Amino acid sequence: MSDPLADLAARAAGEPFFLASLLAAFARSEGLDDAGLAAALACPPGKLTLLRLCRAPGSDPDEFWEDVSRVAEHFALDAQRLAEAVKRGRVVVRMQAARPAAGGFLLAARDGEGEPPNRPPEE
Amino acid sequence: MRPSDPRFPSPEEGLALHVRLGGDDPVASAEVCQTYLAPLLGWLGAKYPRLDPHFRQTAAHEALMAYVQRPAGYDPGRGDLGAYLRMAARGDLLNLLRREGRHHNNRSPWPAVEGGEVAGNLSGEDEEPSGKLIKDEEAEACRAFLSDVEQRCTEEERRVLRLMVAGERRNAVYAEAIGVTGLALAEQNREVKKVKDRIMKRLTRGGPKHE
Repeated sequence: MSDPLADLAARAAGEPFFLASLLAAFARSEGLDDAGLAAALACPPGKLTLLRLCRAPGSDPDEFWEDVSRVAEHFALDAQRLAEAVKRGRVVVRMQAARPAAGGFLLAARDGEGEPPNRPPEE
Repeated sequence: MRPSDPRFPSPEEGLALHVRLGGDDPVASAEVCQTYLAPLLGWLGAKYPRLDPHFRQTAAHEALMAYVQRPAGYDPGRGDLGAYLRMAARGDLLNLLRREGRHHNNRSPWPAVEGGEVAGNLSGEDEEPSGKLIKDEEAEACRAFLSDVEQRCTEEERRVLRLMVAGERRNAVYAEAIGVTGLALAEQNREVKKVKDRIMKRLTRGGPKHE
C-alpha cells in the first residue's frame, strides 16, 4: 500500500482549500512531475507531501505574502519561488474555470490579473 | 477502546493545533494531517481489522479533510480532538460502507467482513465503559487546559482565543473583537496578528506534553 499521507495530499489537489490544488495546476501547466515540481520549488522531494497539505495562501496581497512567507520559512524554501508557483497555479485554475465561457487566448491576455504584486516578503 | 500505537496526541496538543488551524497559520492543516492520520488509521485498523484497508484509509482521509476545512465543527469544550476525529472517521466509514452496499445492490460488504458487528460498532459511541471514561478524562483535560490558558490571557486575548477555538477565520471579526476596526485594513490585520501570536505563545508554553 502506498503512503497514506501522500495519498491524502493527492486527494487534497482536488480541494481549493489546499496548496496542493495550486501546486498541481502549476505543475500541469509546466508539464512537471513530482521531481520536476520539487526542483522548481527548490524543495526536497520528501517535503512535497506536507507542503501540499498546507492551506492555500489568502488572496489579499498582505495575507498572501504573510502566508507564503510562513510556509516558506517552515519548509526552508525560497518564498519568491513558492509565490511564483502559487500565482501561476491560481491563473491556471482561473483559466480552467472560465474556459467553457470564453476563448483561451482572451483569458491568456488576462494572465496574472488580480494576483498579488511581485515583491519580496516583509521581514 | 483505548487508541493504540501510534499514539494520538494529548488533548492539549490537539487544542493547540485546533487553535492554530482556526487562526491564520497556513501550515496547521498539514500538521493536523501528519499528526492524526497514522493514529486514526491505527485505531480503525484495530477496531475493524477485517475491513478492506482502502475503506479505512478513505474514511480517515475524509474525516481529516472535512475537519481542516471546517474546524468550527469541533467544539473543544465537548472533548478531545482525537475523539472527535475518531467519531468522524467512524461516521465516514459507515457512510462509505452504505454507499458501497448500495453500489453492489444487496451484496453489502460489511456484515460479512465484520461478523455483523460493524453496524453496531459504527452506529454509536465506544461500546466499552473504559472507552467512555477515557474520553471523559480527555474532555476534562481539554477544558482544564483551555481554562488555564484563558486565565493567563487579558480580556482582549480571551475574546480572540474564543474566536480561534470556534474556528473563526475572518479577520474582520477579530478586528471587531479587539476594537481596531477604525484603523486601515493592513493595520487591523497587523494588530490582530499580534494578539494571535501572543495567544499561540501562551498555548505552546502552557501545554504540558503528553506523558
